[in-house]
Amino acid sequence: MTVQSDDWGVLLTAANAGDGPAYARFLAVVAPVLRGIVRARGAGLGEAACEDVVQEVLLAIHLKRHTWDRTAPVRPWLYAIARYKVVDAFRARGRRVHLPIEDFVEVLEAAPERDPTEAGDMAKMIGMLDDRSGTIVRKIGLEGASMAETGEALRMSEGAVRVALHRALKTLAALRERHVE
Amino acid sequence: MKTDDLIRALAADTAPEGSLRAPMLLALAGAMAVALVAVWLVLGFRADLAQAVVTPVPLMRWVLTGALAIVSARMALVLARPEGRHEVRLWPLAAVAAAAIGMLLWAYVTTPPEGRQMAATGKTIWSCLIAIPSLSVLTVGGLFWALRRGATTAPALAGAIAGLCGSGAAAAVYAVHCTENSPLFYVTWYGLAIMGVTLVSTAVGARVLRW
Repeated sequence: MTVQSDDWGVLLTAANAGDGPAYARFLAVVAPVLRGIVRARGAGLGEAACEDVVQEVLLAIHLKRHTWDRTAPVRPWLYAIARYKVVDAFRARGRRVHLPIEDFVEVLEAAPERDPTEAGDMAKMIGMLDDRSGTIVRKIGLEGASMAETGEALRMSEGAVRVALHRALKTLAALRERHVE
Repeated sequence: MKTDDLIRALAADTAPEGSLRAPMLLALAGAMAVALVAVWLVLGFRADLAQAVVTPVPLMRWVLTGALAIVSARMALVLARPEGRHEVRLWPLAAVAAAAIGMLLWAYVTTPPEGRQMAATGKTIWSCLIAIPSLSVLTVGGLFWALRRGATTAPALAGAIAGLCGSGAAAAVYAVHCTENSPLFYVTWYGLAIMGVTLVSTAVGARVLRW
């Protein structure tokens, strides 16, 4: 059963318990808010580059979602990750940004921005993965294939696809780090 | 790649990951167990260990180093969360430091002047200054390994706290060998070893705990 709610805490609790649709919903609700922050801070960086940063933050949230303590509010947790990653991402792009936390909350309360743009960096990173991992990420992400379908196409068990996807996402974050340095 | 596509890939990865608490405490306990065996094999336990753990002044070594390890382990768990750097409270460390300094002053006052130098120098300064940092490699290493799964937004501070926790634990283990009973010795030299390890851990943490 999937949770029907827009409450971040409810969605993330369900997500951390393994509820995929609730997790997708959580990320979908959070992404426009992140986009708002990044665009407000990264004016002049260009929409595509901003979207790269948004995706970096989403990947970081994904890999660190277990560090959320379900008894604590989600927002401070999420803002802390966003702030850390946004500063990092802008620094990597040769910009110094100052992100006071109070400022942050203000931006977050502004209307979230829609209209996702195609971002380039992630595709580049996926291209650096080994063939099989790249195919898995593309199939599930771009084509919307299920674990079972992906497994069938690659002659892998569903469990193996699951493990490979998890590793691939971790590798993407690591590649990102190295690329940034 | 569009963000919606990325979200679809991320949402498909539902492999659950547990919290950090259990792995971190397990890593610390495991490292301490290995350190204890190493002390036993290489240095041997002090002969009057059973006596020392029930005598107040020598016992304070384990109380102080244990308290240091416990308060900093709790702080490390707070710091491992991204928002933790705004929540962490440093005063428990100050309390442990104050207690250690209190012990030192008490010992200074109660030791006869002609005995102070001997009590402070003891016979095993080098053994202490080599063993505690060496054992810390195990404990602090275990903590770093666990903390890398966390998401600290203050890597250098988290490194320092891991250093205090690991070296405190290492000093507590070393104390089963060490026969220096005066706080003039153990507060001074254990303290110096702990500070050295913490300094190195801060620098290492700033690199290793970034993500």
